[in-house]
Amino acid sequence: MELSIASFVQIFVAVLLIIGLMVGNAVVMVYFERKGAGFIQRRPGPYEVGPWGTIQAVCDSMKLLGKQIFVPGNVDWILYFAAPILAFFPVLLLFLPIPFGPYLTGLKVDDGILLILAFAGFGVISNILAGWASNNKFGLLGAARAVSQSIAYEIPMILALLAVVFLSGSLNLSEIVENQGSWPWQWNIFVQPLAFFIYLVSMVGETNRAPFDLPEAESELTAGFHTEYSCMGFALFFLSEYANMLLVSFVCATFFLGGWRGPFLDGFWWTFIKAYVLMLFIVWIRWTFPRVRFDQLLNLNWRWLLPLAIINLWITAVAIKFFD
Amino acid sequence: MLKAIIDNIKGLYSLLVGLSITGRFLLSPRQTVHYPRKVIEPENMASYRGPLELVPGDPDPAQSRCISCQMCVRACPGHCLTVTKGASGKSPEVWLYDFTLCCLCAACVESCPTGAIRFSHKVYLVADSREALHLDLLGQLKSSAKQTS
Repeated sequence: MELSIASFVQIFVAVLLIIGLMVGNAVVMVYFERKGAGFIQRRPGPYEVGPWGTIQAVCDSMKLLGKQIFVPGNVDWILYFAAPILAFFPVLLLFLPIPFGPYLTGLKVDDGILLILAFAGFGVISNILAGWASNNKFGLLGAARAVSQSIAYEIPMILALLAVVFLSGSLNLSEIVENQGSWPWQWNIFVQPLAFFIYLVSMVGETNRAPFDLPEAESELTAGFHTEYSCMGFALFFLSEYANMLLVSFVCATFFLGGWRGPFLDGFWWTFIKAYVLMLFIVWIRWTFPRVRFDQLLNLNWRWLLPLAIINLWITAVAIKFFD
Repeated sequence: MLKAIIDNIKGLYSLLVGLSITGRFLLSPRQTVHYPRKVIEPENMASYRGPLELVPGDPDPAQSRCISCQMCVRACPGHCLTVTKGASGKSPEVWLYDFTLCCLCAACVESCPTGAIRFSHKVYLVADSREALHLDLLGQLKSSAKQTS
């Protein structure tokens, strides 16, 4: 890819749009998360602010912006303030190679999925820094959990994605979408159902969402690695959590559900519909299942997901070798 | 090994059952009401234990069924009742109830030989001082009898 003014402008516009998407997504998803929690628990959820409580999330974020930054004693200042920034900004980069539509792609790179998987690790680094720098036992325990969980769940995730990469013969996300058809039975989920299932489990584990929200388990660790963060520090962690959820949903839609291809009319709307259905599924899971214990979490990964992913990858490779 | 695999497949099925239950709840109507706009229907209030009230007497609703036997005063674990017998007959002269001490245990309701006490269904009771919760139940009975007549 040559660097020119045009490509620079393209990336600049893409990053601006992605920031808008991230913030808008957080506001919308907070509303749907709380409404979903309310409906599942058979109560109305947010109701008072605005029609059906739609402005509640905006009011909450305004409150968060107006709060005092409270820094506890004996923190490591540089790392303490670097951690939320490091949690937020790499996510911008992760959205760049996602093909939202046939032409709506921030950066068409040949190894887009490598870029995503490589920079997704920054989220864990920010968690470690936050837990370590805030000089708090809960923070440190949450950070330790975040490390072992993320290392564990990244491997089956990569192996599941690799099976699809074998099928498509490309690391380019746009080509992976183009290799799938418009109708649901032409999508990769029907060729790779096991890989889809493994990805679905490890994407919840990777984004630290319930039932795998051990790094920030409220009942055990108050808030885990972001216990000592208030105001914008907390807001950035919060934003990046929702942005990570959106990212894994987009990757799942791209790899397994046909991306922007859909019945009747291909276009970016299909990517967004699929991603947001997955997001609502993650919310549904959160309010259904209780949090797993830490040994159960690691057992599930190392004893089931990883062997299954390896077997799946092996069968895929053999099938491609003999039948292609 | 085979048993572990079967157990895990059963576990996956139980996850689906859980999802279907919460999914059904997601789509079914809400069970709570928005208080200032709506209140709970009276039939759902039957089991609610509000502050005590005296049961209106049979011929005269302003008279209590109480015979001042002091059984409720003795049964009360929180000592929140004060019943004083009147000068003539068995009917009480003073019937004071300190709601700040009451634990709503129903020992008084069970011990009453004439069934003169019951729980009210005052969900929306609000007080701005402790004294406002020291209730004169005889006075309440008389005023409510006056309102209904």
